[in-house]
Parts: sequence; C-alpha cells; structure tokens
Amino acid sequence: MMVDIEIEIDGKVVHGYPGESLISIADRQGIDIPRFCYHKKLSVAANCRMCLVDIEGNPTPQPACSTLSSAGMKVHTNNEKAKTAQKAVMEFLLINHPLDCPICDQGGECELQDVAMEYGSDISRFTEGKRIVDDKGIGALIQTDMTRCIHCTRCVRFGAEVAGIVEMGATGRGEDLKIEPFLSEGIQSELSGNMIDVCPVGALTSKPFRYEVRSWQMNSIQTIARHDLVGSNIFTQTHKNKVKRVVARDNESINETWISDRDRFSYQGLNSENRVLIPKIKVKGEWKDASWSDALDFATNGIKKNAKEGSQFGTLASKNATLEELFLLQKFTRGLGSDNLDYRLDTSNPFNAKVLESNISLTELETIDHALIVNSYLRLEQPMINHRIRKATLNGASVSTINAKAFNFNYRISQSVLTSPQNTVATLSGVLKALLDKSSQTLPGYLNSVTIDQTHIDIANALSNAKHPVVVLGEHVNGNKCSDQVAQLVANIAKASEAKTLNASLTGNAHSAERVNFKPDNGKNALQILSSDLTAFILFDIYPNFDCIESKNAIEHLSRDDAFVVVMNSFDDESVLSFANVILPIASFYETSGTHINVDNIAQSYSASVKSAGESKPGWKVIKVLADLLNLEGFDFTDSSQIADEALSLSPSFSEIEVPISNSEMPNVATVWQYTPYASDVVVRHASSLQQTRIGQMSEASVCKATAKLLKLSEGDLYNGIPVNINESVAEGCVFVHTHLPRQLGVI
Amino acid sequence: MISDQAKKEIDIWVAKYPEGRQSSAVMQALTIVQKENGGSLTNELKQAVADYLEMPTISVEEVATFYENYNHKPVGKHVIRFCHNISCMLNGSDELISYLEEKLDVKTGEISKDRLVSVKRVECLGACVGAPMCQIGDQYYENLTKKRIDEILDGLK
Repeated sequence: MMVDIEIEIDGKVVHGYPGESLISIADRQGIDIPRFCYHKKLSVAANCRMCLVDIEGNPTPQPACSTLSSAGMKVHTNNEKAKTAQKAVMEFLLINHPLDCPICDQGGECELQDVAMEYGSDISRFTEGKRIVDDKGIGALIQTDMTRCIHCTRCVRFGAEVAGIVEMGATGRGEDLKIEPFLSEGIQSELSGNMIDVCPVGALTSKPFRYEVRSWQMNSIQTIARHDLVGSNIFTQTHKNKVKRVVARDNESINETWISDRDRFSYQGLNSENRVLIPKIKVKGEWKDASWSDALDFATNGIKKNAKEGSQFGTLASKNATLEELFLLQKFTRGLGSDNLDYRLDTSNPFNAKVLESNISLTELETIDHALIVNSYLRLEQPMINHRIRKATLNGASVSTINAKAFNFNYRISQSVLTSPQNTVATLSGVLKALLDKSSQTLPGYLNSVTIDQTHIDIANALSNAKHPVVVLGEHVNGNKCSDQVAQLVANIAKASEAKTLNASLTGNAHSAERVNFKPDNGKNALQILSSDLTAFILFDIYPNFDCIESKNAIEHLSRDDAFVVVMNSFDDESVLSFANVILPIASFYETSGTHINVDNIAQSYSASVKSAGESKPGWKVIKVLADLLNLEGFDFTDSSQIADEALSLSPSFSEIEVPISNSEMPNVATVWQYTPYASDVVVRHASSLQQTRIGQMSEASVCKATAKLLKLSEGDLYNGIPVNINESVAEGCVFVHTHLPRQLGVI
Repeated sequence: MISDQAKKEIDIWVAKYPEGRQSSAVMQALTIVQKENGGSLTNELKQAVADYLEMPTISVEEVATFYENYNHKPVGKHVIRFCHNISCMLNGSDELISYLEEKLDVKTGEISKDRLVSVKRVECLGACVGAPMCQIGDQYYENLTKKRIDEILDGLK
C-alpha cells in the first residue's frame, strides 16, 4: 500500500494516500467526524456540511469529505471553531426535521438521532412552521416518509452510481426541494433495498418491517444469504424467535456493503402460513398428522419394503440445500447401494462432464475489460455478480451478449446477438471459428462447415482485443437440450481468447452439490429418476411444479401406486400432497446451521438464527436419524460442523471430457423458461412483498412476429398459461417466458 | 410526441455540445416542446424529451421543476411573470400582484376565465433597476404602477 502523506488530526500524526479525503483518513484512524451525505462507496456530494472541520491556515471551516489531504496539513475536528460550525449545521438540519422519533422505525439506529445527541441543542430556536412533504409511495419494499428527509442525496447517488438505474431525484428547489422518483410506479432496481441502508434518517425504511419491533429489541446474527452464487454476508435480526429483518454485512471481497432485494426481503417467506409444521403420513390415501417417531418408522419401513435393491431407490435434492444436507443425503443414498441422485432438476440435459469451471473471483471481475455474457439475464439472476461487471464497465469495459432476448441491463451492451436455443451452438461455433481464424490456428473438424457472419467476427474481435476478457454462461443454458455442447464451446472460446470463465448456470448452493458429487457416477440422473421404474424416493425440499423441468411428467411418475415417496419439505404444496407418502418437516433458511460454497469456492458456514418452525427439524438431523434407523454406517455426527469438515475434505475428481460438437436435431421453436428472481426458490416465492414488486409481478411469454405466426399466437393469448407479448426483441424460433407462475403444462 | 419540427430545433442545440453530451440540451429541448404544447409541459412530454436525449426521466424532471420558466399546468395565452424578489418587493410588487389578481379575478398560478392570461410569481429576472417589473412573452415591463398595468392589460389580446 502506498502511504506517503503525513498530516496531523487533533494533534495526532496520521498517514494518508495522496489525494485521499480527510474523512477517509480520519475513519481509518477511528477519529469520529459527524456526517450524513458522505458514504464510502458513493461519490462525494458535500451537501450536508455536517463534517466541517477546522484546518489551520484556512479562514473558514472546510468539509472533511471533499477536502483532500496534503502533506503537513493540521486538522482539528473538535476545537471550538469546528464544534461551532458543526453545531450550527446541526441546528439548520433540525429546522425541518420532525420530532417523531418515538414512532419512527429508524429510531435507535438513526445517524441523525446519534449526531443530534452530541451536536444538537436541547431547545429549538425555530418558531416558524415546519415543512411537510407529500408522500407518493415508491413501491412494496421501501416505506417513504419524506418529511424526515435531510436531502443528503445518498439514495439518489446510489441509484445513479451503484444500481445503475436513476430512479430517485431531487425535484423543485429551496424550501420545496423533494427527493422522489418521477412517477409513483415503484422503484424497479433489484438492489433497491440498499437505499434503506444508506438513508441516514427515517425517510426510507423497510416496508415489510414497518412498526414490527424497535431496533434495539432485536438480536443481530451473522449469517449468509443462500439464494444465489455469491453468498452475500448478512445479519438476520430476530425477535421472539422470528426473523424480523435482514440487513447487509460488510465483506469487501464478496458483497462489499450491498445485498440484493432477494437476499434482503426473502425472510418474509419463513413466516408464511404455508409452512409444514408437523410430520404427516398418508394411510390408505388419507393424510394424517403423526409423531416424529411414527413418521420416521413409516418412512424407513416404506424404503425397506419398496427398495429391496439399492438401485430401486433415488434421491433428489434442492440446489439450495446446505452442504451438510447434500453431503449426508448422498452418503445416505450411496449407503443404500444406489447411485441415483441429482440436484439438477431444472436441467433438460443433466450431463456429467465438468466442462466449464469458474476461474475468476468476484473482485477480479471488476478488472476485466470485456465480458461476453451467454444465455443469461445476469442482472436479475446474479445481481451482485452483475454489479461487479457494471463496475468494470464504469472503468471502460465493454460487454457483448449472446442471448435469446435483448434484456434490460444496467450498462451499455456493445454487441447483442439474438440467438434461439437451437441456434446457440451454431452461433458459438461461429465465434470460435472467427477467433481461431484470426490467430490462424487449425480448425477442429466440427468447425469446417460452420459459416461465420459479421456479428461473430465482431464478438471475436472484442474478445481478442481485450487484455482481461471473461465469458459468463448463465441460467438459460439449463433448458437447452445441447447444454453440454454450449458449455464446451464456451470453454473453447475462453481458451482461444485467453479469457476467464464464470459459470453462473450453477446457482444457489450448486457448488456444494458439485463438491460432494451430488450426481450419479453411473446411476440415474434427475430426468431418468423421474421417468424410470424406481420404487422408492427421497425428495429434499423440492416442489416439482416449479422446480422440475418436466413437472407434469414428474408428478405423474411419482404418483404411481408402486412408488413410495419420502418428502422432506419446509413448505406445503398441493402437488406434493398428491404423490408423497410421508412428509417430514424440515427447517428452512436461517433455521438451520449449514455451509454455502460460493462462486469463488469460498465455504461460508453459518449457525441457525432462529429455532425451526413448529415441529420441523434441521434437515441434516432428519437424514442422520433416517440413516441410523436403516443401520447405515458413518453417520456418527453430533454437530453440523463435523459434517462440514468431512464434506470439505472431499476433493472429487471430475472427468474432463471433451464434449463432441454435432448437429443435434432440435425443434423448430424452443422455449426458454426463466423464473423471476423472486420465484427462484421456495422461500422467496413465499415472500409476499417481493411478489408485489414490478420484477416479482413479471409474467410474459415474449415472441417475435414471425414465430407468433408460426405458433398461431396473438397478443394476449396464453402460452402454457403465460400471456403472450409480441415484440421484436426476441430471437426468431424462440419463446422467452419470464414468469413467477409454475410450469403448468410441464412442457420443456 | 415531439414533432419533427421540434426535433429539428432540438438537434441544433444538441449539435452545440460534444458527442455523447446530448443531455446538456435539456433546457432548450424543454423550452421548445413547452412552446409547441401551448406553454406547459406534461409528464408524457418530459418522458419524450428524456427518451429523445437518452437521459433518465427523473433528471429531466429535476431540471423542469428547478427553473421557473417551465409550467407544469396549462397556462393562458399570455403568462404574466411577476417578479417578487427583494428589489421588486421593496418597490411594492406584492401590492401590484394583488391588484392584478383582483382585476383579472385570477389567483397566481391560475388561468383567467377567458383563458387569455395567467399570472405567475417568479424569482429575480435581472431587471432590478426598473423594479417593480414583470415579463410577458419575451417583453419586460418595468417601473410598474397600477395605471401602467391597466394599459398593459388593455393591450393583451
């Protein structure tokens, strides 16, 4: 680190970097300077004037946030001149601020309240009328009370600089200045909740948390958000064994100081009425509540009876399960002599070769100069990864995409190639050929017949001209019948252009599933388990209507008379009741200890924040007891950390197979089915506030005119239950479904 | 939403700024579309200006609400923009504005019944030497008295 400036703050000699602001140096030294508009991650506005300090040689006090240090500077943060200035500013700020702290949700954790305690006067000299601001409301997540606003513009700068969507602004002037969005349609950013964190007063507070409990009555527990590949660091704040709020926890290398709205507001799902609270067994077609011991006996007897051979047994688990749960489940399954297990339920081609690894860290993503995004609406799929790429674009990086639809990214896309799933292999082959042509390398046989056009050359040029390119593969590939070839081609393109790769198609805790090898070596994969003649199943936190790619087939298959299905779920679900034989209630997010492995391969363990709901038990304990009842060996665990230790000591060897590229037969029209980020797992699907947002409400099947004609669809028709929207931003030969509704017909 | 003619006029202003800084022309663009719309702006017009200049709508709103020369409600054929800042106030602008309101039977910010005139209080127009003063269209009227106001109003058609 370059430290070469010496200055004096309050008589103490401290070091700083040239050009560093005084407030940043003081913060590092633990010297407290009051502030409202300054935020370490946002640009300097210097409009609140609270951080005025006295600098020797300067006639007037200067704001510490916008004054840069220079060698030999002598700064006083609390001499009489500085104090007088700070107190005067405080008096001005309090002129229009209401005295409603007792009913304000920010009370107790309010920067204005804290600073006013120290710098404010006991008595106001202001006798005129106070300003009252008319509130328009800005959506389901953020509660506004703009009379409390002190115009620091942190939320405005957050929108412009971090979220990348300028939604809040300062309208009017003088006494009439208001912070508000243009129309009261609701804030649309997927990171909007961070405005609550940056707001220093009670103007923006959490709407779902409104009037729930006072901030000092809650416990804050360090934990990890489990919805995406990043594993953002968070605090769950609990009261009387309920999670009341989630706020961001700083971790520079993972989520900086931000978290996505999904991570912030999904906790509401835990308190949903739709939880499974008591074990249930189905006797002669009737559901009955049962004690844990009866239900466990029922489950083990059923498995023993229906799976005389291990090969008749299959296990499916959610990609959001913990490392410990996945590890025990695979041990359990393999202990029963079965190799039928999988977590890739939304995948139409669960292939086994590991062809595309992620080899770029989150912080490294900021330093790239070109990104090629393939098959991904990254902004909504992985908000924090997208945020890092956005930061790179602010430093001049360019981004190109190969997608089925032109998505609304929060940065400029320099080249956008629209490609239907069935043409993705051809497009990627074109790019690869253009790349190899450029460096005059010999072409592998499968590229000989590939034709390249200008778009392929443009993308190849962008990749080869970049010094630090990255290729990102996203979720849409999972529905592609040729997903193995797509992944292989992405790997080949990265190799040919010396690019790093980021595989965002494995989301949630999929890295844990990969680590413990939660997929068959020679046995049956998810699709095969749900279509062959297995007779006993364990389904771990799976809701086939949403989670299984061929949901209708899956439910029919599991409903066979000769199938015995043990379900471990945390939420109730109609379709599960139709096929399950026993339901064991398990703990949901924040109710169990566990481990999440993120895209950087960092294993983050966390403990339970609250006790599990009703009679439900942590998943790992249930699996352990089932294993004991079936006399399986190696389940002597008393603590989840012992399981994590054993699981993390595994280093499974992956078969590095080169997937052959061929002209596979594909349908004329393919469907890409993407859930909204607020329908990506069962917990967030039950989070009511997120469902009311514009992102949560999204439900449309986009199709271009030509394809609509082919499919005889017109605007407003239903395609698999989803309203059709005809527009030209979709690739020909493709229906792009973006929805929060279940896969009704089970097509694709 | 914005006519071709207006777009042509806006393009003249856009051309004065470096490439990629087209949003700098937002004030002129708002003035042009406001004139075309009979003297006031609507949300749809502000949205159209934002789209045309490729800038966030809220940024257009910030400019449009900061300056007094944009109207957010329909106005009369003639807008009397009466200064009420220090010099004019000391020279009796408040009394004159009341007189004007009474005579026209209209409050500041409203349109007269015959939709001919509306009155607006504005900040300093830089003509303190002739205070009290007002602006109608592109014309300044200075050293105002009740008699002078009568004459001016008689001249408005």
